[in-house]
Amino acid sequence: MALLPISATFDGDLVSLLVAVDDEDTADVVAQKIAHHVVGRRVAPRNAPVRLRVGGQVIDKDQVFRTIPAAPLDHVEAFFDE
Amino acid sequence: MPRLSRSDWYDLSRDTNWTFRYVTEDAVFPEELSGSHRVGKQQWLAWDEPYKVSYREYVHNQVTKDTTTYSLKNAISRSKVFDELDPGWKSVILAHYGAITMPEYLASIGEARMARFGRAAAWRNTATFGALDEVRHGQIQAFFPYGLLEKEPRGDWALKAFHTNNWIAIAVRQLFDDMFVANDAVSIALQLTFTLETGFTNLQFLGMAADAIDVGDLEFGALISSIQTDEARHAQQGEPTIKVLIDNGHKAWGQFLIDHMFWRSWRAFALLTGLSMDYYTPLESRKMSFREFIEDWVIKQFAEQFRDYGLDFPWYWDEFVRELTWYHHAIHTVVWNWRPTVWWNPDAGVSPAEREWLEEKYPGWNRTFGRHWDVITENVRTGNIAATFPETLPLACNICQLPIVRAAGVLAGAHTDPAPLRHVHEGRLYLFCSEPCKWIFTQRPDRFKGHKSIVDRFLTGEISPPDVGGILAYMGLSEPEQGQDATGYAWANGG
Repeated sequence: MALLPISATFDGDLVSLLVAVDDEDTADVVAQKIAHHVVGRRVAPRNAPVRLRVGGQVIDKDQVFRTIPAAPLDHVEAFFDE
Repeated sequence: MPRLSRSDWYDLSRDTNWTFRYVTEDAVFPEELSGSHRVGKQQWLAWDEPYKVSYREYVHNQVTKDTTTYSLKNAISRSKVFDELDPGWKSVILAHYGAITMPEYLASIGEARMARFGRAAAWRNTATFGALDEVRHGQIQAFFPYGLLEKEPRGDWALKAFHTNNWIAIAVRQLFDDMFVANDAVSIALQLTFTLETGFTNLQFLGMAADAIDVGDLEFGALISSIQTDEARHAQQGEPTIKVLIDNGHKAWGQFLIDHMFWRSWRAFALLTGLSMDYYTPLESRKMSFREFIEDWVIKQFAEQFRDYGLDFPWYWDEFVRELTWYHHAIHTVVWNWRPTVWWNPDAGVSPAEREWLEEKYPGWNRTFGRHWDVITENVRTGNIAATFPETLPLACNICQLPIVRAAGVLAGAHTDPAPLRHVHEGRLYLFCSEPCKWIFTQRPDRFKGHKSIVDRFLTGEISPPDVGGILAYMGLSEPEQGQDATGYAWANGG
């Protein structure tokens, strides 16, 4: 369990955010933590699951974040999976 | 008593050069401060300012300007002119005073460096007037907002901003440290006077003065006009300096310095002038969009300068021109969202009529940026104001120090990847908003490697407690000083 600051964007948003996650978080939890700062604030909510993409690869929602692997300030992108 | 015409004595009185016998030329003009050693001592004597003024004429002109400007201020300060100004315009001048007053004062250091370490007496003479100009600009732009304190206490940010760690102050301070406080005389001439002043601020001040008069802010209009006429004179130091460099085979160095600072100037302009022109200035007083201003004035001016001196357009020119359609819109949305972190009240500037204007001036604005404001507007209308405030920081570029908005570039079709650009130097990771900012860093990393962005400071524990309250306190913003929506959300309700 370690706090990990990451660089994050949400698809459709306009700014990169500093988001604090736990390296034991699943990709699903990380995606929700990013969405918290964007969806319903600058990006309209949609009836679709939120997924995580790293380096163009969609991450399995149950994958533990540190196993991606992820380092501080690595960039990840959350998006609506429609 | 015979009276000589100025041309009979000017060069003789100006060209006070010495032949050093007890010290070396290098000791008098150390390269770190002078930056002039690429060109020989004799070649620098060709430096000749286009606009000539004697000390007597200078003092006469300045006294006249000060008398007029201060008289106007005294008359207007007794009126209700400020109270009746548009709230967006009040934000324009509050942002201006906080971001510009101290840099003007610091610019006197840059001018004084040229006045001491410039290699030609003519240059040192011109820079001496420039130093006096900048002291005056610092003082007058501190005194005018001082007069506003009873009506707008945040006028004190004219002095305060640079003594805080506010993120805008960090960005502006880092820029001007690079441009003139920690720069050599030749680089200052090309980066401050040739690039920023001739290329950007001289034109901007002309436009701002006209806008101020149009919105009824006669005081600010008179102030800016009075400054602009000084700028127009001392900004001319860049032209003879680039000419000496080019004539002596050092065009590449001049080009590098200009390319470096044109991008940095553009970034600062997008933040301060872009928001002011397209969002804060009342719709009825907007004469042109920010994009039109840059295209019609700045680009035209630089195109002429580049042509006149045989310089090339900076290598990133296409990226710069593309950014005119989207970059400052993204920065505006971020500044408004993070409005408690600035010392002025950001005007959303997205009423139905304003959105129509934005769409006309920037076709596709509604599709690219309007959709964010649709969500924000809905939150305001339903009373969910909390959702319009942030709970984390945007990432900041390690050169321009501004929020990284490459994601908006993706929406605008200018980029394909929203991820910040990365560079590791001596084991430390640096993030950048753009290729030019990354290029500026990697060309001379020793110049920039020690600086920390607001995000670096947060991550290294300098901001405590590490939460929104801690960040605002670190930035020097008490609750009454924090920015609020300029119009009390009137725009969201069709106002």
